[in-house]
Amino acid sequence: MMLVPTFTSPLQPRSVRQIVRLMALSALMTVSLAHADDYSEVNQLIRSGKLPAALAKADSYLAGKPRDPQMRFLKGVIQTESGKATDAVTTFVKLTEDFPELPEPYNNLAVLYAGQSQFDKARAALEMAIRTNPSYATAHENLGDVYAKLASQSYSKALQLDSNNTAVQPKLALIRDLFSPTVKGTRPATVPVAAAPGTAVAPTKAATPPAAPAPVMAAAVPATAAASAPASPASAKVATAAPTPPAQVVTAVTTVNDKNVEAAVNAWATAWAAKDMTGYLAAYGKDFEPPSKQPRKAWEADRRARIVGKDRISLKLSNLDIQVNGNKATAKFRQEYKADALVVASRKTLELIRSGESWVIVRESTGG
Amino acid sequence: MKRTSVFLFVMVLGILLTLQPAWSSTQKQAKQKSTHKVTHVKTKPQAKTKATKRSTRAVATRPPLASPPPVAEPILTRDGEAEARLVEIYTLVGHGKTRDALARADKLVIDYPNFQLAQLVHGDLLSSQVRPVRMLGDVPDTVAQAGALTLANLREESQVRLKALRERPPAGTIPSQFVALSPANQHAIAVDASRSRLYLFENSRSGLKLVADYYVSVGKSGIEKTLEGDQRTPLGVYFITSSLDPNSLKEFYGLGALPINYPNPLDIKRGKTGSGIWLHGTPPDQFSRAPRASDGCVVLSNPDLERLLRTVRIRTTPVVIAQHLNWVRPDNVTKESRSFESYLSAWRLAKTGGDAEHVLGFYDPQFKSHDLTLAQWAPTLRKEVSRVRGRKIELKDVSYLRWTDTADTMVVTFGEVIQGMQSGPVKRQFWVRQGQHWKIFFEGVIG
Repeated sequence: MMLVPTFTSPLQPRSVRQIVRLMALSALMTVSLAHADDYSEVNQLIRSGKLPAALAKADSYLAGKPRDPQMRFLKGVIQTESGKATDAVTTFVKLTEDFPELPEPYNNLAVLYAGQSQFDKARAALEMAIRTNPSYATAHENLGDVYAKLASQSYSKALQLDSNNTAVQPKLALIRDLFSPTVKGTRPATVPVAAAPGTAVAPTKAATPPAAPAPVMAAAVPATAAASAPASPASAKVATAAPTPPAQVVTAVTTVNDKNVEAAVNAWATAWAAKDMTGYLAAYGKDFEPPSKQPRKAWEADRRARIVGKDRISLKLSNLDIQVNGNKATAKFRQEYKADALVVASRKTLELIRSGESWVIVRESTGG
Repeated sequence: MKRTSVFLFVMVLGILLTLQPAWSSTQKQAKQKSTHKVTHVKTKPQAKTKATKRSTRAVATRPPLASPPPVAEPILTRDGEAEARLVEIYTLVGHGKTRDALARADKLVIDYPNFQLAQLVHGDLLSSQVRPVRMLGDVPDTVAQAGALTLANLREESQVRLKALRERPPAGTIPSQFVALSPANQHAIAVDASRSRLYLFENSRSGLKLVADYYVSVGKSGIEKTLEGDQRTPLGVYFITSSLDPNSLKEFYGLGALPINYPNPLDIKRGKTGSGIWLHGTPPDQFSRAPRASDGCVVLSNPDLERLLRTVRIRTTPVVIAQHLNWVRPDNVTKESRSFESYLSAWRLAKTGGDAEHVLGFYDPQFKSHDLTLAQWAPTLRKEVSRVRGRKIELKDVSYLRWTDTADTMVVTFGEVIQGMQSGPVKRQFWVRQGQHWKIFFEGVIG
C-alpha cells in the first residue's frame, strides 16, 4: 500500500537542510491543524498576561508531545515574559539544537542574551538566524542594533572611555510566534517549499474538522492565499469595496488617490522622524495587523520604545511606487532610516485602505 | 547600504595604503623647543642591584577589559604579531572583504583586548555592517568629543604603522650610523623617530641584517632632548647599559626596561641634562601607546620588548636614535670612514711609540673623561704609555658609529691589548672631526 504522499512529492529539495526544514514544517503543519486550538489558547493566555496559566497549559501539552517546536517556542516566550531568562535561554538553545533550520529561536535567544548584556552571544545567535534565513527582517534589524552596541563597546575600549555610560542598551524585538505572517515574502526559499506539502496534507485532514484556518497555517501560506481567506478583516473589506468604477473615471480617481496615498505615506514618515507618536500611530488603521501577530497594544509599546528612545531619527523615502485599486493601495518604496548611529536602508511595502478622505496603513512589510 | 559603507571604508584605507613612498625625502619635523621643567617622575631602581624587589608592586586587581581572562598576560604572543594581524585586516578591507576583516578583527581583539587601535578598527568594521564608515575611527560625535585626543592619537598610530610597513628600507641597506660593527656587537638597534619605528639588526660575518622592526612611542614633546624633564627623546648614538629587573619596576613599564647611556659624552659636552632614558614596555591596559607619549623613553609593546630583552647584550648593543634614519649601502659607509681609520691607526701607533706628548696631540683641548679635564687626565695617559714600553698595541673588536648633526662625531669601541698580554681593557672614545682632522674629546674604560 502506498499511503505516504511525502515521498511522491514533486518537490525536489536541494539540500539536506531543506529536507530537514521541510520535514520539520510538514510535521508542524500536521500537528498544528490538529492542535491549533492549543496554540491559540496558549497564545491567548500570553496576550492576556496570564503567564502561569499559559505555562501550565504549554507544559501539559508538551508532556504528551515533548518535541513539538511550536509549543516549545511558546514556552520560551512565556519564560521570557515571566522574566525567567535562564529557563528561556535553555528552551531556545534546545530548540536551536533540535531544529537548527529555524531562525526564530536564534532570534529570541539573541534577545535574551542582549538583555543580559552578552552582546557577543547575541550577535552569534543573530548571525545564525540570518544564515538560516538570509532575508529574516527582524533578525537583521536586531543584528543592526547589536552591531551598533558592540561597535560602541569597541570604541569605548579603543578610547578608554567608560562604556557603561556611553550607550543605551539596545532594545531588540522578540518574536512571539514561529512562522509569523510578517515574514511572508521575506522567505523566498523556504516558504513556497514548505507551503506545498502543507496544503497537500490539508485536504485530507481538513475533511474532518470544519477547518477554521489556524494561525500557524495562515502564516505559512503565501500572501495570495492569506488574502483570500475570509477570516482576514482587511481583505474582507477590500472584497466588498471592489466594484470597479468605469474605466474613464479610474485615471482621474487614481491620480487623486495616488496623491492622497502619497500624502498619507509622507505624513507617516514625517511623524516617525519627528517621534510624534500620536501622529505615527494614527497612520495605522484599526485593522492594522501588527507583525508577529503581536497584540496592537504590545506592538504600540514596542514601537514607542524603539522610536522615543532614539535621540534623532531621519527617514528618507525614495522610488515611491503607488498602486491604487479601489479603496486599497500599495505603496512600495526604498526607505533610508537613520537613528543615532544606526543606518538601515531597506525596501518597504505599505498596504493602505481608504478611510474616508484619508488612507491608513493595514500592513507593513520590509524587503521584497 | 552595506555596499556604500564598505566602499567608503575602502576609500579611506585605500588612501592610507597607497601613500606615496617618502622614504628618501627628509621632512624635518620642526619641533618647537619646550621649556618644560618638570622633574623626571620615574622611580629609578638601581641598575646594578639585581633584585631590588619592591613590595609596592601590588599588581592589584584590574577590571578585565573583555571576557575575563584569568590567566596571566598572554606571553605566548609573538613579537610584531598583533601589528601583522592588524595589517592583514586592513588589507582585507582594502580588497572589500569586510566580513573576513571583521571575523579577523573579532579574534584580534580577543587576543589583544588592550590593543586600542585594533578595538577602533573592530568598532569600525562592526559599524560598517549597519552604516557607512567614512574614516578610521568613525565614532559617534559624543564619543569623538569625549575621546578626541585619544582618537587623534590612534589615527596617527595607524598611519605611522602603515607607513613604516609600506615604505620599507631598501634591501641591503643599513642606517648610515653603523659604520663598522665588531663581532662583539651581535645586534644593533636603530630608532627612526619620524616613523615611530625601531629596527632590530643581527650582526654576522655577512654584515648587518634587519631582522625585525616595531612601532614605538617617543617623548610627548618629541625628540632632541636637551633638558631634564623636557619630555623629549634624545637623538644620538647610545648603548644599552643594563636590563632592569621587571619585578623592581612599576607595572607602568611593562615587561622590563633597558636603560641607555643618555647623556653620552657628546651630550655632556653640549651641556644636556636629564637621565633615565630607557627602552621599556607598556602598562597592562595599553598594548601600545600614542606615537608621542613618554617622558623621553622609547616605548615598545610588551611582546616586542620581550624580544629585545632576549636579544640585546648589556654595554655592547648600540642604540642609534635619529630623527630620520638614512639608509645606505654598507660599502658606501666604509669608504667614507677611511680617513677616520687612518687617524685611529695613527693614534695606536703613537701610543706604541711611547711618546706621551705626541699621543696627547690626538686629544682635543676640550677633552673630558668623566669629570677630568685633559690636564687632569694626562697623567693617566702618561702612565699607560710608559706601561706599553714600545710593545705593539692591538685593537680588538673595533666598532665605529658615526653621528653627524651640527658636528661630525665618531664613537669607537675596542679592546686595547698590548702584545704578549692575554687581554686588555675595553675602551670607548668619542672623536670629533675638525675640518680634515679628527680629535678625541672623550675616552673611558667601559669594561
